[in-house]
Parts: sequence; C-alpha cells; structure tokens
Amino acid sequence: MKASSPILWPEAPTVQTAPQSGLARSQHTSPGESAAGRKAVADRPVKARTPRRGHPDREPGLKRANFGRGAGLPTLLLLPQLLILAFFFFIPSLRALMQSVLLSDPFGSNVQLVWFDNFKALFANGEYRQSIVTTIWFTVAQNVITLAVAVVLAFATDRVVRGRSVYRTLILLPYAIAPAIAGILWAFLFNPVVGPLAHMLHALGISWDPNRNPNDALWLVIMAASWKHICYDYIFLAVGLLAVPASLMEAAAVDGAGPIRRFFLIALPMLGPTVFFLAVMNFIYGFFETFAIIDAVTHGGPAGATNILVYKVYVDGFVNLDLGSSAAQSVLLMTFALICTLLQFRYFDHKVNYGV
Amino acid sequence: MEALTCWTAEEEPPMKKIAFIAAMFGVLALAAPAQAARVEVQWWHAMSGVLGDRLSELVEKFNASQDKYTVVAVAKGNYDEVTNGVIAAYRAKRPPEMVQIAERGYMTMLLSGAVVPVQDLLEQKGYKIDWPDFIKPVASFWSYKGRMSAMPFNSSTPIFWFNKEHFQKAGFDKPADTWQELEKQLYAIKAKGVSECGTVLPGDFYWSLLENYSAINNQPYGTLANGFDGLGTEFVYNKTKVVSQVVRLKKWLDDGVLQIAGQGLSPEQLFTSGRCSTFVNSTASHGNIERNAKIDWSATFLPHENDINPPLNSTIGGGAIWVMKGHTPERYEAVAAFLDFVAQPETQVWWHGVTGYVPATSKAYALARERGYYKEHPTREIAVLQLSRGTPNDNSRGFRFGSFVQTMLAQRNEVEAVFTGQKQPQQAMDDAVKRGNEILRQFEKLNAGKGTEWAPESK
Repeated sequence: MKASSPILWPEAPTVQTAPQSGLARSQHTSPGESAAGRKAVADRPVKARTPRRGHPDREPGLKRANFGRGAGLPTLLLLPQLLILAFFFFIPSLRALMQSVLLSDPFGSNVQLVWFDNFKALFANGEYRQSIVTTIWFTVAQNVITLAVAVVLAFATDRVVRGRSVYRTLILLPYAIAPAIAGILWAFLFNPVVGPLAHMLHALGISWDPNRNPNDALWLVIMAASWKHICYDYIFLAVGLLAVPASLMEAAAVDGAGPIRRFFLIALPMLGPTVFFLAVMNFIYGFFETFAIIDAVTHGGPAGATNILVYKVYVDGFVNLDLGSSAAQSVLLMTFALICTLLQFRYFDHKVNYGV
Repeated sequence: MEALTCWTAEEEPPMKKIAFIAAMFGVLALAAPAQAARVEVQWWHAMSGVLGDRLSELVEKFNASQDKYTVVAVAKGNYDEVTNGVIAAYRAKRPPEMVQIAERGYMTMLLSGAVVPVQDLLEQKGYKIDWPDFIKPVASFWSYKGRMSAMPFNSSTPIFWFNKEHFQKAGFDKPADTWQELEKQLYAIKAKGVSECGTVLPGDFYWSLLENYSAINNQPYGTLANGFDGLGTEFVYNKTKVVSQVVRLKKWLDDGVLQIAGQGLSPEQLFTSGRCSTFVNSTASHGNIERNAKIDWSATFLPHENDINPPLNSTIGGGAIWVMKGHTPERYEAVAAFLDFVAQPETQVWWHGVTGYVPATSKAYALARERGYYKEHPTREIAVLQLSRGTPNDNSRGFRFGSFVQTMLAQRNEVEAVFTGQKQPQQAMDDAVKRGNEILRQFEKLNAGKGTEWAPESK
C-alpha cells in the first residue's frame, strides 16, 4: 500500500480542481449544494496561487508541510506507522531471514546453522522452478484479465443509465466474499462431476476437467483470483474516469470521435497513473493474497500445476513443517516481488503521465 | 485487598463499603473451594462434526465420573492446524497438557523432545494398564522400543464399501476378494449400464490404495523394516507391486471406471448418492455413511492381489493422544486419570460404537462381541478383523518415516502427474521415491544425534 501514496496524491486534487467532472456535475444538479460548489470553485485559484509564489516550479496540488523546527513532532506523528511496520513487517522479515539459514525441527529443540543450504536446495529443486514458472503465468494472466475486465466495466458505468447504483453494487459484491468461500464456489461451479458451469462447458464440447488437466486447473484459479480482484480495480478506475475533464471529452465528441475512441485516446491515457498503480497492486495481490483461493480450488494440484510460490511457502511451512525451506522461500518471494515492483517503476513509471 | 486497606484508612467505614466487602468475601468463599477441588487440563484435538460431538461427550463422561479433575477439550481445526497450534504453543512455553496428533506425525512428535511417553507417565502415576492387550498394528504403530509413546485414541483402517444393489443388478453376490476379479466386476457393472462410475478415488488414496495396499500384499515400502529399524530407511516402493497398482488406477481412470471427485465435492458423496458403485475409505466414515447414504450399502475387506495368499493385516490411520512436557505433577495426575479412562474397555466400546473407529484393545473387542454388537452392525467388525488377521511382519507392522506428511505429498504429486498423463507410472514412482528419500535424509541429518539410541525393535 505504501507505493500508492505518491501516485494517488495528484489524483485527489484533480477531482476538486475539475469543476466539470462527474462529481462536481452531480453537485450542481442538486440545488441546495450548488452554492457550496460554486464557492469551492471560486476559492481554488487563490489557494493554488499562494504556494506558487514561493516555489514557482512546484506542481499545483503538491504542498510542502511545515512542522516548524526540530524533529519532535514529525517523529511523533510517524511513530504509529513505524511501530506497525516494525511489528508486522521488519521483525517478521528479520525472523524469516534468520530462519532461512537454519535447519530446525518444528519444536525448535534441534537447530543447526546450514547457511545457504536451504536456498541451494531450492534452486536445485525442479518443483520449485516449476512453481516460479507457474507463478509468473498466474500473476501475469490474472493481472491482464483483472485490468481488462475492470476497464471495460468502468467504461460501461457511464453508459448504464438505469440502475447505476445496482450495477456498481453488483460489481463490488465479490470483494465482500471471503477468498476461501469464493474458492469453494468456483471449485463447485466448475467441478467436472457436478458443477453446472462445467456441464455447460461439456455441452459445448469442451473437455473440461481441472482434476486431470493442469491447464484447466490453472485457468480455473486464474479466473477465480481475477474475479475476486476485479472490483478492487474497478473502484479505482471508475473514480479515475470521473476525474477526466468533461470538456476534453465533449471537444472530442464535437470533433466526431465515438465513445470508444474517446475512451482509448483520452480517458485511458489520463488514467495512466491509476492503471500503473493497479498493475503493481495486482502483482502484489497475485503474489501474496491468492493462497486461500488456491487452497480451496485445487490444493496446488494436479501434479503441482497450480502450486504458486505463496502456496508452496504455506504448504512447506505449515503442513510439511519444513520451516527452514519455507522461510528461505518467503525471503525469495519477497525479493522477487520487490524486484518486480522496482522494475515496474523503473520501466513504466516515466511513461505514465502524472501531469493531469 | 484494596478494599481492606481503604477500610483501615478510614475511621468509620460507611455501611455500603462494609456490605461491599462482605459481598466480596462471600464471592471468594464460594469460588475458592471450587477452584481448589478440580485440576483443569487442556486437550487440543482435531475432531469436527459428528466426531467432535462424540469427543465432547467422552470428555463430559470423564468429568462427570470423578470430582478431582476437569478435562477441557479444545477443537483447534484439522490435524495440520492442531500440529501448528501445539508447536507455536510449545515454543511460547504454554503447551496444552494433551494433544491429538495424526499417525503421520509420529516421528516428529517422538523425536521432538517435547513429549512425555504415556506408558512412563501412567506407570509412574500407578495406573495398571494391560499394554500387551492392545491390538498389534495399533500398539506397534504408537510404541517405541516396545513402550507406548502415545495413547491410541481414534484408530481406523480403510475398508471396502460397496453398493449392494449395483452388484446384484450386474449379477454378482458381492465384491471379489482379489483386485483382478474386482476389476472384471467393475468393468461389467459399467458395461451393463448399472452405474457409470465403478469406484471413486478417495481423498487419502495414498493411505488406503498405496500404503495399506503395500502392507496387505506383503510388499516392502521402505528399507530397515519400513523405518522401524532406524532413521537410515529409504523408500523402495518403486520396485514393488505398488507401481502396478498405480498402473491399474490410471487404466481405470482412463476407462472411466474410476472417477475423481475433485475440489468442491467430497468423494464420499459420490458413493452415498449412488453414483459410484464402490468406495475405499476409512472405517471411521461409518457415522457419515449411515446418516447420508440413500443406497443399500455394505462393506467388506480390502481386495488383495491374486498371487498373494493369505493377505496380511492392514495398517492404522487416525490419531493418538500425546502428553506434552512442562506441566506440574498434579496436572499430570489429571492427565494420567483421563488416559486411564480412555484405555478402559467400556470407554473403548462406547467410542467404537458411536464413531466407527476400531476398539484399541482385545478386551474391548471381546466385550463388543459378547454384547452382540456385530450382529446388528456387521460392517463395524471388518476393520478389527482386517487389522488383526495373521501375524504382522516387517512389511505390515506400519510405517515409521520421518517427515511422513512431506514425503506423502511429494508422492501424491507424482501420482497426480500419472493421472494427468504427464508421467508414466514407473517414472513417477521413481521420482516419488527419489524426492521422498531426499526428505528422509534431511530428517536423518536433523535428528542424527537421536539415531544412536535407536535399537532395532522389530526383531
């Protein structure tokens, strides 16, 4: 979630500074609120100009906070966050690092320092390499599907005239379902013996059997994981679309661009930061939060076809009680996720237009 | 105490305060003897559903039978969750007094240094338990150097369940004794259109269809008497009939005689709903099948190979009660009293009757027989007879492999690769053995110091 703050910052002010945006428009329609809306519009230039005098190169909307001299207050304000990070991130990470160079029995009565043997064993292990490949497939496919479907749904939001709130609620519903329950639902619906959706696939002549076909199983967990996460992407995209200046869209419409063209040429590029942020979040979701779905839908099978890294960490640690290997895997997974996120920032970040 | 100091500090205590203090003493007086009288101990277990209710009943029976001790049964999820819970609790130095652990965790618990062997405890506390009376495969599984390390609690073994009507319609009296004949029957049932599914793959097929298959058919699973003679044991099931068993399962699967239920559905449902004609599963599913089956079912012994005669005993699954280290003597008094209660024939017979688990002792079995229990419930006797037939040898005594859950999961993975068509059975079993042996070597390395006290016990 940390990565989000620098990206989201410019967005929040855009919603306020665009008087023609959907949010502001809706304010105008209700008579009681219209005066307040106009007042906010009138106030803004004054507010925006003040910081600009001192720092002419500073972007509008980004303000420097001033806490006076000394580090006392900032430290105090940061303390709760730092404590949370320490207890839920740094200390566990340190423990995992320590455990990853040990060979120990589950009860901890027998502990040997083996240095990097746990890591060496992992790289020599075909099952682990297969798990890496599976994870890449799983996260990339999940990311693409989630974003693509969420973009379409967000695009369609403006076109749904009747029952828009029902439409939104329906899309947001999966987010309220616990991953394990979602997994069981999907497993049942697509169960080749009794699942109604599996029967439909069979009727269409598709030999669907996730118990015996590794690809079917992988698709099933990708679909389940995407379905669970589409709503998350949707919220951000739908809000992002509201911030696209209506004047630009209207100008394009006057020039003869259809809704789809307007969407791809104007709205989507302006959503760049949001899409980029979502891509990073989807990767993190795919890497770390999908284990309950895997556990409920396939147990990592058949023959390890859906055994993604985070599920393997769980099975080796909590079922097999191989704590050293499990810790080494979680260290590698963390490194892997870190590299992915850094690469995304390195290569995609400067192509994203934040200046909206 | 604070109230008292307040009172002494004041010259004239107001009446309200005196009444309050009196009430406090009253409460203390009521609460104190109750606390002193009963020693409370915890028992973490993995039984859920009907079995969980029965377990609670058992504990209530014990608590009601005497007034010195209270056992508190705490359901901690499935076996894996209980194991993880007790490990975390032990590391935090707050373990429960007793914990129920599945059969695969035997070596982990035995060598953990965190347990008190039950036989030592019960002898020390002066309880006379007829240890040799325990049914042999049960006793040998849970004992080390001839002494019981954990109290056998819920012991089961796989048996062969079948749909009577399907067999009759296809013209058979009952399922055949051998795998070869049974195969013909199942294919005939499918060919005649009696049912489209001959049998359903059990969720724990590695236990019933591979490990127990190996024992019954007198095949070695690992060297050194399946691990009973030392930590240096290696898997050898890639050179035995287990490979041909995997070939058979793959053939049945390809021909549609064997079906996989998959996630979102329990294999048992495919049998109890009448879709599949047979089902290899634990005798402990008696409760569920009696309740859910809408079919005319019965059960019999697991089949054996036609060139193996007589077949040997099957091995057990299920759990035992381990006693954790680090508690006070009076708590161990309570634990010993409870374990003695569990070992009583009356308790065993009751538990056997309400759950389907086997009675752990010969006395309990004789008692159940005497009362004519098996006349009414003939299928409940199968597991006992199958477990106690013949004399257990090195191949059928049980399995003693370290990290047995991990080696089993590696093996399951490889068998699934056969089912998906990615590997040939021989290749898959070779790979499973190779992976399993790496895991065994790591376990041996970790417990190297403990290997020296290991004396061959099977001879």
